Amino acid sequence: MNIASLSTDQSPPISFPFSFFALAPLFLLLAAGMLALGRGNPFAETHSPAMLAAAHCITLGFMAAVMFGAMQQILPVLVGSKMPVARLVARSVLLALLTGTLALCAGFMLGEPAWLNLALVLLGTAFLTFIGASLVSLARAPAKNETRTAILLAVITLAVAVGMGMLLARGYAAGASLPYTEFAAAHVGFALGGWILLLIIGVSYQVVPMFQLTPNYPKWLTAALAPAIFILLLSAALMLLLDPASPWFARAIECLFWLLAVVFAGVTLNLQSRRRRQVPDATLSFFRLGMLALIAAALLALAAMRYPDAHSVLRTLSALAFLPGFAMSVVNGMLYKIIPFLVWFHLFRGGMKSGIPNMKQIIPENWMWWHYRLQLGTLLAFAGAPFWKWAAQAVMLGLLLQGLLLGAGVFTGIAVYRQNVRRLKPAPV
Amino acid sequence: MGSTVTLDVCGLPPPEPFVNIMATLETLPAETTLQARIHREPFPLYDVLRENGFAWQTTALADGNFQILIHRIP
Repeated sequence: MNIASLSTDQSPPISFPFSFFALAPLFLLLAAGMLALGRGNPFAETHSPAMLAAAHCITLGFMAAVMFGAMQQILPVLVGSKMPVARLVARSVLLALLTGTLALCAGFMLGEPAWLNLALVLLGTAFLTFIGASLVSLARAPAKNETRTAILLAVITLAVAVGMGMLLARGYAAGASLPYTEFAAAHVGFALGGWILLLIIGVSYQVVPMFQLTPNYPKWLTAALAPAIFILLLSAALMLLLDPASPWFARAIECLFWLLAVVFAGVTLNLQSRRRRQVPDATLSFFRLGMLALIAAALLALAAMRYPDAHSVLRTLSALAFLPGFAMSVVNGMLYKIIPFLVWFHLFRGGMKSGIPNMKQIIPENWMWWHYRLQLGTLLAFAGAPFWKWAAQAVMLGLLLQGLLLGAGVFTGIAVYRQNVRRLKPAPV
Repeated sequence: MGSTVTLDVCGLPPPEPFVNIMATLETLPAETTLQARIHREPFPLYDVLRENGFAWQTTALADGNFQILIHRIP
């Protein structure tokens, strides 16, 4: 069998996702740096320049980079369709996303409209290219399963979040009069509750049973959950923009949203408790931590509605439980599965029939456990950060160390791949 | 009508289903069909099959698994 001659038409070269994965950890270091540059405790004022810059380092520089890189491989593997003009898309999105994030941070920290305008152009280019390529890929996908539906809805909510974000950035830069509070709420809602949650849900439908050896998600959940969340988000945004004076309906929608998020987390934890191989696994623990954090985010958001006196601090804690707690934990867990799998898969398709490293040996398991403990510690620090400056400083240290550890993990994966590829190539004469 | 070899890779973690199917195909006699049962549709496998001269037919089963019939194109 001539596997050595196989083309990799359907799967993009490993360098595409790995470029994103390699650069993403740098933004955890940058987030720590932005927080360190802030005055006083940046967590005490959620709209302070340092906080905004750090939040976007994490959401754009780290999370969006990892998700965009992963999507280039996820789409061919999970729904059978690669992105169009993959090389051009990968390079232009990576360049525009990373430079755009840097420009946005500079805009927040320096208060210079010129940087915000530059970020607007660069990030707009990155997101619109990615969204367009993803939609083409999804339209061509032979699989019409629930994962495709959830990813499609995630991409649509990303488009709305980006549109809102661009309006906000343009408004800030031009000093325009806009309903900033409503727009910012819709931007955050679609970015976190739509793009991040729906993408994780859609990918989990396949990845959790596949990698964690659990039973499949129940049909009733996979058929209804993502569309229901999407409809709730659209309804909430419309209410917010059209009739912000009647908050009871928006509250009811938010309660339903968090209920669905808890159902997803609860079902996932239940499936994981019934996995076929009951052995400790760091990536599984990352996932479980993420699901527990999602439940905590829901409870804190519901408590914020119930107790108006503590509304602000509970909202902040809910956002921290969602973003660094749920989203970062799951993304870390997925990365530690995706990187070894990609190394193995590309070596196999490249022609190696024997001697391919076992997936569990590509990134040392004990590194992943150290990262897991670090993530746990960082989350505890996040929980205390709005109250104590020393906790905020612990968050900075945690992000710094996580960036270094994750970066070392990614580069280890790349090194293993390169070493084995060199073995495949004949020595020069 | 050739014979059929059956292979069940349901529930195995990646990359074992892929490896087991490819290993079975390497020793598959001509005129023989491999009937593989797998828990998810293996899109990356299709490229490998196509490029190595195999034809396949995938059927979604009622239990959520997939059955793939693979044979070498003469």
